[in-house]
Amino acid sequence: MMINITIDGRPVEVEEGTTILNAAAQANVRIPTLCYLPEVQAIGACRVCLVEIEGNRTLQAACVSPVANGQVIHTNTERVRKARRFAVEMLLSNHPFECLSCAKNLHCDLQSLAYDLGIREIRFSGEKSGGRIDESSPSIRRDQNKCILCRRCVTVCQEIQSVTALYMQGRGFETRVEPAFDRDINDVACTNCGQCSIVCPVGAITEKEYIDDVWAALNDPTKFVVIQDAPAVRAALGEEFGYPPGTLVTGKMLAAARRLGFDRVFDTNFAADLTILEEGTELLTRVKKGGVLPMITSCSPGWIKFIEHFYPELLDHLSTCKSPHMMLGALAKTYFAQKVGVDPKDIVVVSVMPCTAKKFECNRPEMYDSGYKDVDYVLTTREFAKMIKQAGIDFEGLPDESYDDPMGEYTGAATIFGATGGVMEAALRTAYEVATGKTLENVEFTDVRGLEGIKEAAVPVEGIGDVRVAVAHGLGNARKLLERIKSGEANYHFIEVMACPGGCVGGGGQPIPVNDEIRAKRAQALYNEDCALTYRKSHDNPSIKKIYEEYLGQPLGEKSHHLLHTHYTPRSKF
Amino acid sequence: MEVSRAHILVCAGAACVSSGCRQIRDAVVNKVIEQGLQNEIKVIETGCIGSCDLGPLALVYPEGVLYQKLTPADAEEIVTEHLLKGRIVERLLYKEAVTSKTVPSMKEIDFFRNQIKIVLRNCGVINPMNIEEYIARDGYLALGKALTSMTREEVIDEVLKSGLRGRGGGGFPTGLKWKFAFQSPGEVKYVVCNADEGDPGAFMDRSVLEGDPHSVIEAMAIAAYAIGAQQGYVYVRAEYPLAIERLNWAIGQAREYKFLGENILETGFNFDLEIRIGAGAFVCGEETALMMSIEGKRGEPRPRPPFPVVKGLFNAPTLLNNVETYANIAAIINNGSAWYAQYGTEKSKGTKVFALAGAVNNTGLVEVPMGTPLGDIVFNIGGGIKGGKKYKAAQLGGPSGGCIPIDHLNVPVDYESVAELGAIVGSGGLIVADEDTCMVDFARFFLDFIQHESCGKCPPCRIGTKRMLEILKRITHGEGKPEDIDDLIELATRIKDSALCGLGQTAPNPVLSTLQYFRHEYMEHIEDKHCRAGVCSALFDAPCQNACPADQNAWGYVTLISEGRMKEAIAVIKESNPFPATLGRVCVHPCEAKCRRAQIDAPISICSLKRFAADMDMKSHPRYRPQAEEPKGKKVAVIGAGPAGLAGAYFLALKGYGVTVFEALPVAGGMLAVGIPDYRLPREILENEIKSITDLGVEIKYNMAFGKEITTEKLFGEGYDAILVATGAHKGQKLNIPGEETPGVLDGVTFLRDVNLGKTVKVEGKVAVIGGGNVAIDAARAALRLGASEVSILYRRERSDMPAYSEEIDEAENEGISIHTLTAPRTIVAKDGKAVGVECTRMSLGKFDKGGRRTPQAIAGSDFVADADMVIAAIGQTPDLSWMNGDGVKADKAGTVEVNIKTLATGAAGIFAAGDNVRGPATVVEAVGDGKTAAMAIDEFLGGDGKAPNAFRDELVNVVVTYDEAVYQKELGKTAMPHLPVSKRDRNFNEVVLGYDQNAAVEEAKRCLHCYLRQTE
Repeated sequence: MMINITIDGRPVEVEEGTTILNAAAQANVRIPTLCYLPEVQAIGACRVCLVEIEGNRTLQAACVSPVANGQVIHTNTERVRKARRFAVEMLLSNHPFECLSCAKNLHCDLQSLAYDLGIREIRFSGEKSGGRIDESSPSIRRDQNKCILCRRCVTVCQEIQSVTALYMQGRGFETRVEPAFDRDINDVACTNCGQCSIVCPVGAITEKEYIDDVWAALNDPTKFVVIQDAPAVRAALGEEFGYPPGTLVTGKMLAAARRLGFDRVFDTNFAADLTILEEGTELLTRVKKGGVLPMITSCSPGWIKFIEHFYPELLDHLSTCKSPHMMLGALAKTYFAQKVGVDPKDIVVVSVMPCTAKKFECNRPEMYDSGYKDVDYVLTTREFAKMIKQAGIDFEGLPDESYDDPMGEYTGAATIFGATGGVMEAALRTAYEVATGKTLENVEFTDVRGLEGIKEAAVPVEGIGDVRVAVAHGLGNARKLLERIKSGEANYHFIEVMACPGGCVGGGGQPIPVNDEIRAKRAQALYNEDCALTYRKSHDNPSIKKIYEEYLGQPLGEKSHHLLHTHYTPRSKF
Repeated sequence: MEVSRAHILVCAGAACVSSGCRQIRDAVVNKVIEQGLQNEIKVIETGCIGSCDLGPLALVYPEGVLYQKLTPADAEEIVTEHLLKGRIVERLLYKEAVTSKTVPSMKEIDFFRNQIKIVLRNCGVINPMNIEEYIARDGYLALGKALTSMTREEVIDEVLKSGLRGRGGGGFPTGLKWKFAFQSPGEVKYVVCNADEGDPGAFMDRSVLEGDPHSVIEAMAIAAYAIGAQQGYVYVRAEYPLAIERLNWAIGQAREYKFLGENILETGFNFDLEIRIGAGAFVCGEETALMMSIEGKRGEPRPRPPFPVVKGLFNAPTLLNNVETYANIAAIINNGSAWYAQYGTEKSKGTKVFALAGAVNNTGLVEVPMGTPLGDIVFNIGGGIKGGKKYKAAQLGGPSGGCIPIDHLNVPVDYESVAELGAIVGSGGLIVADEDTCMVDFARFFLDFIQHESCGKCPPCRIGTKRMLEILKRITHGEGKPEDIDDLIELATRIKDSALCGLGQTAPNPVLSTLQYFRHEYMEHIEDKHCRAGVCSALFDAPCQNACPADQNAWGYVTLISEGRMKEAIAVIKESNPFPATLGRVCVHPCEAKCRRAQIDAPISICSLKRFAADMDMKSHPRYRPQAEEPKGKKVAVIGAGPAGLAGAYFLALKGYGVTVFEALPVAGGMLAVGIPDYRLPREILENEIKSITDLGVEIKYNMAFGKEITTEKLFGEGYDAILVATGAHKGQKLNIPGEETPGVLDGVTFLRDVNLGKTVKVEGKVAVIGGGNVAIDAARAALRLGASEVSILYRRERSDMPAYSEEIDEAENEGISIHTLTAPRTIVAKDGKAVGVECTRMSLGKFDKGGRRTPQAIAGSDFVADADMVIAAIGQTPDLSWMNGDGVKADKAGTVEVNIKTLATGAAGIFAAGDNVRGPATVVEAVGDGKTAAMAIDEFLGGDGKAPNAFRDELVNVVVTYDEAVYQKELGKTAMPHLPVSKRDRNFNEVVLGYDQNAAVEEAKRCLHCYLRQTE
């Protein structure tokens, strides 16, 4: 039902139940917000979106207040301006003024809000609640001095991811966001998904940066530094340089990597194709031989840690495949090292990932199958952009360049790995043809695409019948699927799970902000690339064929078992 | 049913339990069995009766005798004397605070007599663990009535019409809330009881749950029926284990008796109740936070709307009321809304329970009709302020509330009236603050509480209250800045406007409220670094010195006397006081009122110790003479040789000025000489002290009346560089009644002056003195000594209102003077042109005046004549300012000299004023303090540093005493002061108070707790 209200003297017709914030937006009135985050949180905590409603004694938070018919709302009175400014002023009075050296400088919501509200001095000063810097995690850095208690991280961790590694603790001025019992984040069931770092409006939660380590490797003449990037990176990196979301910047990205001094530029997509062959084979084997089903994908390290913590009894459902970049890392220090005749100890593998969990993953003790650390450093998309900026590279002016051999060739199936449902779609393309020996005409499985939390499909495959699959993205959705598996309701063959909402395009290491609209645009860029590519099935990739011929033998063969597969570790829920 | 001859009810509220009532109950039971009375006497554990300061206590019925402050050892006497022989045990009875009269019956004790109990109707009456006792008191009748004979709409209507409003603090009409919950669509609805009582000092909800849990259960069942709920929750804080235990028990009993559960009273109505225990967060008393907590989440408020009646617990419509609100319901349903609405005011119906705490004589739970004047609660029920101190403010409504100062004691305590004054009724916390409360510190306390209890969700509350607290802490530490007040107001205003929930929005109230009424205390802390209450210890060394208008270092000389270092003691005293022997006799000693020793037994007799040191000095050779600074070559004229003028002269002389004092009378000393009779202050003592001032070079010129022989113009013309006007207040106030001019009627000041100047004053027959101040007492006692056959004092208020020093009033009575209070003169009755009596009217005390005293009102037809051959009117004095001649010195509205209160400078350059002509009639020590202040201001005016000497302080704070302090730090009491026996006071003016000898003085001084010693880091 449409109702009539007045905002700042202008009549507005809006749907009943709309919040004042959205109603105002429809009337082209921008009400500032801070703790509010669409799709995640509307709690009216920060008091920045206060508005004055005639007849109400107190000011109301626009983000949570539904409009009522006939309401007369003022968003720009002296009282409102003073109240908003006061809320921010209070935050600033408790904030370390380290803006210039903060990882979020110029990307900080608090900073821009203070500017927008015209705060030119902090009238009140006093004790700062302070807090600690928690660097225990290889993925996440938490500087609680900077925390403004907006709770976005808590909400995303609890409600979207169902991980609940972070809580509100204490009362009054001592209130803080911490893991239970103030333990280090690395000592609790944190999945390192980094969604908290995406939603943090300030510099309180950021990825752990390894930029300086990478610079050091590049500067070391004895090191042979190899870089690889995940498909979701090329669909988002451009945003750091002012391109609209959904712009593919693959060519410029590679040119930039070479200018930064990397010796070889490989593509994680190559390993994605490899994954499909290994994982697809594994699935068919399980189906044929009566292995544990449903099999669940294993390429999202946040997801892996989640199941290790919360559902260790279901670990057998996981595919044993390493994630693609780990496969590439292992091959870089074996297959590639042999090929170029470089001592693997001198090879440094750097992965540019949309992901913070991969920083943890590359440090797992299982990931030394090459005889060395398979991947040395993981940089997020954001960090990689910072390196380009630090190097003074004019990104926009770069020519388009392409990947190096032998691990640079990829198919459309690989590139859609970056979007939720992509692994599933890629697997189906290959599994169908491998199982039936027939050519799949329509390679697009649109049922598994899109941002719906849990997607299902049934694909008729000759000789097997309907292959029932499900796709979940976001750990909260994954949990729902796992509960269904536990209760026996889920009779799928294959499940794809990505820890982050939207899959890797919405990864914890991606440019900020991320929302469903941006997730969809980034995913679309990958689907567009898929369409444009010659090869759209992993097993058609000539370089893949070659590596099996030259080095690996066959999927699930001895060498690939050693280098490309792994095992999992049950962990505590607490 | 068994019938017992007598019941003994032992109060078992949580407070009495923790002070040992269970042992007393057991002891009584044992004694009852020992005496074989178990079939005749029933021992019952009951709920709180409210008067916590009296506990543990017991009530014996049928007589209704209240025994207080019991120990198990008292059981024997109660059983053998009272229960067996029917003799009341006098020593265990309640004693009235002021009169010390014992009162046997609970109903006759003021504390109880003035209450009306609806909410607490069963508390302290029944055994809360026995549902049958509740049923016997009409329990569950209302539920039956509602379920069987009323529609849901009728129930809601009854509650609506009763006018009951939410007792948790909001004051929202309860019936309206029920109606909204009833109308709110929803299959599942809940009723919730908020028992998360958290205001500091408030415990009415606890008492109801402990003393009458079924009243809440019954009301919740009625509410559930009315709105259509089947499930209820009582949210109780974990700190209330006894309440939880009894409520749990009661719920079990109610289920057993089918008042809860399925098909209640066979009406098809289902309702059950569960307890949820909160972990003790204050914010969980906020309804949305409370529901979050019940749901198992972190107890934090969420924005409203939606309100709980629409979307509450588990997103279902929820009716949430507090314990006290529910406790009214059954009574309303049983007796009807009209019955309930007869109590209270137009907009605030019924009664309200208050937790009366703080500086009153009777503390505890009180239930009074809404609209009862605050002063009645504090003074009638609360029995007034402890220790005869002065009421300063009442804090209503806990941390969200505000304070009500002395000039609003008549405010009817109802939602609207209290809110107009910036406080709230709240949940009923009522903390009374007396003169020993620092209002800045008071505000700091509440803010500290709120800051710790803030849920931390929104920045205004989380950080804003912290910033306010920081400012308050700074002010109380003496580091306040002038802009702090504005900053506090700005912070408070913004927090109120922008905080998320009620807790945050009201958090600044205690600060705003104290700023509204006690801004001067804030300013004193900030500008003068002075805390008048003696609380903010960073601002002073010890409270005794802090309280002294003359800034006398009392702790210093007390410590020196305790060590036998008498010469040093007098040096310390004389540094800030030229009249130690005088003030040692007549000082009102505000220092003693603040002495920390009073917390153990009685304050140190600081004043008498000063007298001891001064008298000792007077007898010694050579006497101590303070060192004056080098002559500055400037001269100052002082007008008036009273305590203010002479003190000014003394300090100016010490600063190196040439001083001449001009006195209108033939003697020096002012009121000390002509106002105070010799039996209090022997003339030679005063003369001796004046001599030590003239010894410093001060010249006194007598018979020089200001405005006649001397004028300021003349003095400046004679080369005086500055003038201090200290002419006192010597003009007696008129009674303004017929016959005042009759011979035989005189004013007290004139009478005492004539006596003191040695004029022949004939006093015969009956003397009536009118007034209650020191002049009245002095005049009465002097009249007695001069030969009056009978002296009576007529005073229009109560004795406790008399401004005279209480020791003097006591002595007057000891000497046989009768004091007639509540008596006001109407007419002087004359016969043959001579006074023969005073026609008086009896007075009763009505409303409170601006100063917090009840206004006397004539009782019609109570006139009577008091025979009197002589009438002395001593109702006050005013300064005689007839000398004013337009030289720039002006009078203010009060008829005193207008000065800058800090420097005592008048409007005319170089002219300063001090003492009673500035203050109106005040104390000697204030006059001395003024003299000192003016002297320092004159010094500064004349180019000096304006600093009072303080040479000993640093050395004194390091004095380590050599005696065993521990011996003196247990309860000892004051060292007795020898007095002249009354029999030896007849017809003479010999000194009455004799003073300590050295031994007594040292012993007394050793009682000092040395509270000036501070722990060093």
